[in-house]
Amino acid sequence: MIELIHITKRFDHTVAVDDVSLKIDGGEFCCLVGTSGCGKSTTLKMINRLIEHSEGEIHIDQKPIRSFREDVLRRRIGYAIQSTGLFPHWTVARNIGLVPRLLKWPKSRIDTRVEELMSLLGLSMADYADKYPDQLSGGQAQRVGVARALAADPDILLMDEPFGALDPITRETLQLELRDLQARLGKTIVFVTHDMDEALRLADRLVVMHEGRIVQQGHPLQLLREPANDFVASLLGGEDRGLKEAALLPVSERMVPLGAGGVARERIDQTASLREALSVMLWRRVERLAVVDDDDIPIGELNFRRLVGARVND
Amino acid sequence: MTDVLTRRWLMPFVWCALLLVGCLAMSLFEPVFRWLEPDSRDVVYARVDFLVLLGRHLLVVTIAAALATLLGVLGAIAVTRPAGREFLPLVAQVASLGQTFPPVAVLALAVPVLGFGTLPIVVALLLYGLLPIVRNTLAGIEGISPSVLEAARGMGMTGGQILRQVELPLAAPVILAGIRTSVTINIATAALGATVGSSNLGDPIISGIVNGNTAYIVQGALLIALLALAVDSVFARLSSR
Repeated sequence: MIELIHITKRFDHTVAVDDVSLKIDGGEFCCLVGTSGCGKSTTLKMINRLIEHSEGEIHIDQKPIRSFREDVLRRRIGYAIQSTGLFPHWTVARNIGLVPRLLKWPKSRIDTRVEELMSLLGLSMADYADKYPDQLSGGQAQRVGVARALAADPDILLMDEPFGALDPITRETLQLELRDLQARLGKTIVFVTHDMDEALRLADRLVVMHEGRIVQQGHPLQLLREPANDFVASLLGGEDRGLKEAALLPVSERMVPLGAGGVARERIDQTASLREALSVMLWRRVERLAVVDDDDIPIGELNFRRLVGARVND
Repeated sequence: MTDVLTRRWLMPFVWCALLLVGCLAMSLFEPVFRWLEPDSRDVVYARVDFLVLLGRHLLVVTIAAALATLLGVLGAIAVTRPAGREFLPLVAQVASLGQTFPPVAVLALAVPVLGFGTLPIVVALLLYGLLPIVRNTLAGIEGISPSVLEAARGMGMTGGQILRQVELPLAAPVILAGIRTSVTINIATAALGATVGSSNLGDPIISGIVNGNTAYIVQGALLIALLALAVDSVFARLSSR
């Protein structure tokens, strides 16, 4: 659990972060969003003391972070950044094994761990272990960056726009993998991004920052439905919020049992989002979709009225 | 394997061989020097054996280079640490100044204080050779991508670990290039030592100037040039790995 208690950060005379309080529970995926210069990266870096806070206290598992030595604290917290920061003179395997080596793990344990992480992130040992960072694509390098951050099995992972420099397809793949990884490993993740779709897709808790302050925080759906002010509303997509909300809800949420009218011709997977369902309807020019399970067997139906959530009397 | 080895070390080997031939068998070329300097009685410098002069020359340059490397690299490291960063502009400027100061002037100033002999020339070479090393070490360390350093800190490496495992290895090629420049310049500059009583390959040159013997001058210059080329080719070999 990470707790920021009335944190302020001043650089000379400018206030970068202004009296921020935030509690992130264990196993939570917390996204800090906001425009450039809103203090989200500064807030993140104060957690592993890359930037020292000026006022207030930051606690990790009830202990103030200043009660640890800086390097000891950082070895307990995974850290991944946009430009990866991989060491260009080290191989992939050596880069990944960095923190375990700092922690003086025995060599055999480091080797096993590196192998484990590489397979976890879909990097084949034979192909990549001995490569150097400049031989990797952006997506591969970022996978290595994430593997390195996870190497010593930290409870907390800090990620500063890790996928910001990747192409949309690679980015989406990595987002899904990260989400999956977090669900399996139960890490607490603090993730900074200015890509709202990314934040909505990943976050359990979305924290919107503006001019050094937290404007609103909560579950993505809650923020979409009840934005605290116009800034949050426009940041979350303005008029597009309906689509963004639809992207977060699965088809199964709005489907109805199969009716007497026969199975609709167009199909949609039950795990697809309402947004995808809407897109299929628009594309195929139909009002009804058959909802199918993993084996492509119809289990329900979704019609347009249900999809948009229209009330019965409208 | 041996093939690669020969090819890689071919140039250093060639220059070293030529240098040795020059030192051991200068008298073979006596007819050439006779033609160059028909009026003198002796046309091949023989007061001291060339090999001895070469040894002294190398010794002076090596000592000066070792000291310059030690001071230069340590100095540059010191001013790139958080605690010493204030002094970075000062050190960079002083190092530049060191090279604009002519070595002859350093010698002239050093002799009254340090006396004649090897010491003043070592000091002059040290000062003169410091700049390329300081400048390149600074450039090498400052040139490391900030994200690499941020990651290193973020992973929990201590300052010492970052210096040893990240900064120095990444800056090494640039630092080596600085040492190479420094040493090559100083091999030529060391010849000045002969004017203050430090005997080396500059002796034939000074002696040639004093006695009006062009052949001596050519012999000294030739050997110094060969030495510079030999050492430079060794550095080239080391840095292109």
